[in-house]
Amino acid sequence: MLQNRDWRWLLRWESLLAVILVAVIAANIQMSSHYLGTDNFVNLFQLSIEKIIMALIMTFIIINGEIDLSVASVMGLSACLFGRLYDQDIPAEMAVVIALVVGTVCGTFNGFWIAYAGLPSLAVTLASSIMFRGVARILLEDRSVGLFPQWFNNLGQPDLIGPLSFGIILFVVLFGICLIVLQLTAFGRYVYIIGNNKGAARYSGIKVRQTKLTLFILSGLVASLCGLLLAARLGTVRANAAEEFELDIITMVLLGGVSIFGGTGTLVGVGLSILVVLNLRNGMSLAHYSGNIQTSVVGALLIASVLLPNLMRDTRRLRQWRDFRFRPRETDLEEEEGTWQAVG
Amino acid sequence: MNQLSPVLEIRGVSKRFDATQALDHVSLTLYPGQVHALLGENGAGKSTLIKIMTGIHQPDQGAILLNGRSIQVTNSSQAQLHGIAAIYQEPMIFPDLNVAENIFISHRGRGAVVNWRKMYHDASDILGKLGVHLEVRSQARGLTLAAQQTVEIAKALSLKTRVLIMDEPTASLSVHEVTQLFNLVRTLRNQGVAILFISHRLEEIFEIADHITILRDGKLISSKPVSEVTTETAIRDMVGRDMESFFVKDESRRDDLILSVQGLARSGVFSGITFDIHHGEVLGFAGLVGSGRTDVALALFGISPADEGKIIYDGQPVTIHSPAQATHLGIAYVPEDRREYGLVMPMSIAANITLPMLRRYLTRLGIVKRRAEETTAEEYRQRFSIRASNVRLVTSKLSGGNQQKVVLSKWLNTKPRLLILDEPTRGIDVSAKAEVHHIINELAKEGLGILLISSDLPEVLAMSDRVLVMREGRQMGIFTRQEATQETVMTAAMGQKITVGGI
Amino acid sequence: MQKVRQLIRPEQIRELSLLLIIILIVIFFGSQIENYYSARTFQRISSSVMIIMVVAVGETMVVLTRNIDLSVSSMVGFTAYLAGQQVSQNDNLSPAVVVLLAVSFGALLGLINGLLVAYGKIPAIVVTLGTLAIYRGALVEYGHSKNILVRDLPDWLVNLPRETLFSVGELDIRLLAGLAFIIVIIFQMVLLFLPYGRRLYAIGSSPDAARIAGLPARRIVLLAYVLCGALSGLGGFIYLSRIGTVGTTAAQGLHMQVIAAVVVGGVNIFGGSGTMIGMMLGAILMGILEQSLIRMQINEFWKDAIFGMFILLAVASDALMMNRLRDLWARGAIQMRIAQDAAVQKE
Repeated sequence: MLQNRDWRWLLRWESLLAVILVAVIAANIQMSSHYLGTDNFVNLFQLSIEKIIMALIMTFIIINGEIDLSVASVMGLSACLFGRLYDQDIPAEMAVVIALVVGTVCGTFNGFWIAYAGLPSLAVTLASSIMFRGVARILLEDRSVGLFPQWFNNLGQPDLIGPLSFGIILFVVLFGICLIVLQLTAFGRYVYIIGNNKGAARYSGIKVRQTKLTLFILSGLVASLCGLLLAARLGTVRANAAEEFELDIITMVLLGGVSIFGGTGTLVGVGLSILVVLNLRNGMSLAHYSGNIQTSVVGALLIASVLLPNLMRDTRRLRQWRDFRFRPRETDLEEEEGTWQAVG
Repeated sequence: MNQLSPVLEIRGVSKRFDATQALDHVSLTLYPGQVHALLGENGAGKSTLIKIMTGIHQPDQGAILLNGRSIQVTNSSQAQLHGIAAIYQEPMIFPDLNVAENIFISHRGRGAVVNWRKMYHDASDILGKLGVHLEVRSQARGLTLAAQQTVEIAKALSLKTRVLIMDEPTASLSVHEVTQLFNLVRTLRNQGVAILFISHRLEEIFEIADHITILRDGKLISSKPVSEVTTETAIRDMVGRDMESFFVKDESRRDDLILSVQGLARSGVFSGITFDIHHGEVLGFAGLVGSGRTDVALALFGISPADEGKIIYDGQPVTIHSPAQATHLGIAYVPEDRREYGLVMPMSIAANITLPMLRRYLTRLGIVKRRAEETTAEEYRQRFSIRASNVRLVTSKLSGGNQQKVVLSKWLNTKPRLLILDEPTRGIDVSAKAEVHHIINELAKEGLGILLISSDLPEVLAMSDRVLVMREGRQMGIFTRQEATQETVMTAAMGQKITVGGI
Repeated sequence: MQKVRQLIRPEQIRELSLLLIIILIVIFFGSQIENYYSARTFQRISSSVMIIMVVAVGETMVVLTRNIDLSVSSMVGFTAYLAGQQVSQNDNLSPAVVVLLAVSFGALLGLINGLLVAYGKIPAIVVTLGTLAIYRGALVEYGHSKNILVRDLPDWLVNLPRETLFSVGELDIRLLAGLAFIIVIIFQMVLLFLPYGRRLYAIGSSPDAARIAGLPARRIVLLAYVLCGALSGLGGFIYLSRIGTVGTTAAQGLHMQVIAAVVVGGVNIFGGSGTMIGMMLGAILMGILEQSLIRMQINEFWKDAIFGMFILLAVASDALMMNRLRDLWARGAIQMRIAQDAAVQKE
């Protein structure tokens, strides 16, 4: 059912996430009577809408064995470009299209270096994030631009369709599409396989480079879309728009059980972890914790999301070592590669 | 030799993982100046035993005695302190450091400050003692596999190693390099080092070993001086039954050509390759490791295309520029390195088998049809008796031989007409090897053209209708089955007459 | 040819070409900017690179082990703020105590990173992306958004950047720039001549081999992080004395410049190769660019875009050129050996 090697483990990880989610929601309900309102519920998604949309694409990229640290800069660049163009009396519709095109170009730029020149994505996107942010600074310097047309601002506001905003609807639709593509289609399987073993993928005739390039182009396009959403939501842009968004995005993906080394994880897990992060931030806001504390907690969550499984594995090993009646997990046996006959 | 007291004794060691008893009261005694061979099929417990000796695993029961005193080995640096070192099939070197540093990196007590001049001097000294010429200042990155192993042996020697474990050190070496390695092993033996030698090649064992111990299913089956062991008894002890020693391919060659290659070349790698393959024919590719055999295969499969010469496939001239295109033409390539290029270990058997042909298993909406996938995989599981309870099992849990069968199934599922096999039996045990040979035979009978690359000379000779020999990127000749003997093929592969053995 | 090949390895060619680029760039700016070759230019560049250089020494050690530390900017900011706060509340703290405070607090933060990476077995990018946020968040909370002001600082600290070590003609070698240079040299010596330094290379070169060889990889990596933290602490101290006014956003984004210096300086992002000297050249190149662009009155907002491009070019040229050079060198070595083998066989 899931395109995954060790789905039993993931199921466990996902159930752990579900338990955490329930606990966070329960704590939030306890803490504030505002929590259960529709407004707060919409707000919960609204405040981080760009990040959660981006997390969907980032899931593909990390499962593919790469990382894109430049998404926040592309968002900023696209927002600033839109602002600058609009400021120079170019029609907003036109500016939106140009910003989306430039975002796609940014993604293609990253993808070219990573897929075709074979450079490490960590270094490429770190460098390009500085570059794209730099271009954003060139565009707006230290000004801020606003007063966008009403239709544009409306895209960022709630109550566009029922109580929901354009972004929320986009997120739900994208989540559905991504879920199907990643877990059920051939493309999704190629993404997993390349993340697991690039060599075997290439030798099996899978177009590794095209797949990687496609993902980074998509990442650029979606990031610039998110940048525009951010501009619409805030109604004003500055050169530092979306700065450090990558922390939350990557946290959501890794907390969802996706391995930073690629090859494992599911969108179900990422969906759950998105809810955990959103509710946690929401709860902390309701409890009047500052944004910086929230960011620190997200950072700690990022580390914990990798540390926890590590520790779980270690204690399991320890127990197995002391008492071999305890049944070890399969991963422990994987080390004995070639030594073990498969027994049902 | 036996008057000497043993340097290392393993007494009644047992180790259990989950439901599997990996080792069951195994004892082993190593004497200084003795080459002790450890034989057994994959899964017999050899690797577990080595891991216990080097401190990676702890025994559940039993003791390790060094010079008569019981010791505890809990990690590899402790093993090192006790004078136990291991050399693996893939040398564990530091590519960015130079040769001398690689030898001395884990030394303690060479002063608080690195004395480069002394280090180079000492390194040359040690290499000199081994009778090896290696520039101690050159980076390890550029060394051949054999040279890297030499560096490791020098490192072990410099650490005053008394027990040296060699885990399949010859698996990726050429014949010439094996000879050199054996000279090194003899040098070490003469210096009083106890050597535990593991190899799947019986003829090597008989050439180098003084004593042979055989494990099967975690139990000690026999432990005798080499003079009391024959190939037949060794194989019987390993597999637990008698086996035909050599399998010879049936005649199945047809007259119609499948592939004709003329003057194929890739600059700087190989040149002037010209051969034909008929339906039902096995064309063996012999030669030393690094002679360009795999490169020719990669060119035919479109991984690194040739830049000169003609390929005529099925009567049509073609240029092959990608694996996808090669697969489409009906060419399949089973790579040498299963781990790196063959399998996606954490995925199921079924997903691996359907991988190159996944588009056949899609619904109109592009969704993967799992049922159809598993049906296909199930067919192959039964056809090749892949030992797995079901096809949803992840491939990493299979033994080497069964993994190889999965890779074979994967490529046969592309319905190829030309099958390129690159070292198909490397690192798999005796009985799995025989099964693979049977499969090759069956496939040839079905009319497939097979290009068989192998460093195992007896295998190439037994399985091929004709043998093409390569040396340093050039084709040295094609021998018919009658012409091809160990002698002629080796002579061509070396480009000269060599005498095997002797220091 | 053989001797040349041993003496000059691809890594050294990399550094020499960096030096060449620096010279070309200096000549270019010299022709564009009036009065460019002056003591003032030197002063500006040297004082702008010294913080980066000190922190990048620590970063280099971490990167050599095939890890990365993104949290250096938060560590520099935190230590600068903490040291500034202590020194402004307590006038009679001696300079040595202040430096010690900054260095040891930095080392503490580095220890946390190191423990998580080496003993928690979490990928460095995850850990330091997290602690980048955590340390910054903790600083903001700790500082309550209050700034440390120059007027609160003691005179010795404010005047420190103008202290001159010695003068060569018009050129004044400032104490802090001299200190940064000495630190680079000391750690270059550590890399070359201490077993610890060689083991940093070994671990980055092949972590598996390091484990098998019984090297205490965890301790080595941990120490690299602690040193990186300590040097970030020292960088924080220099930052405090140079900038004076320190807020809770101090040194934000500095990690990008540090990593830029390291990568442009030829330290392999996958560990195992690179030198402090190369890193220093990288830092100087970035410093020259930054200061000269300001002098040319090019919009300072261009700086980041150009920096990013330089890192990318450095990574790209490393991946594309260095591998080719290394292959060339390796092939040369093999040919040599074949020749030797032949000679031996003839005997």
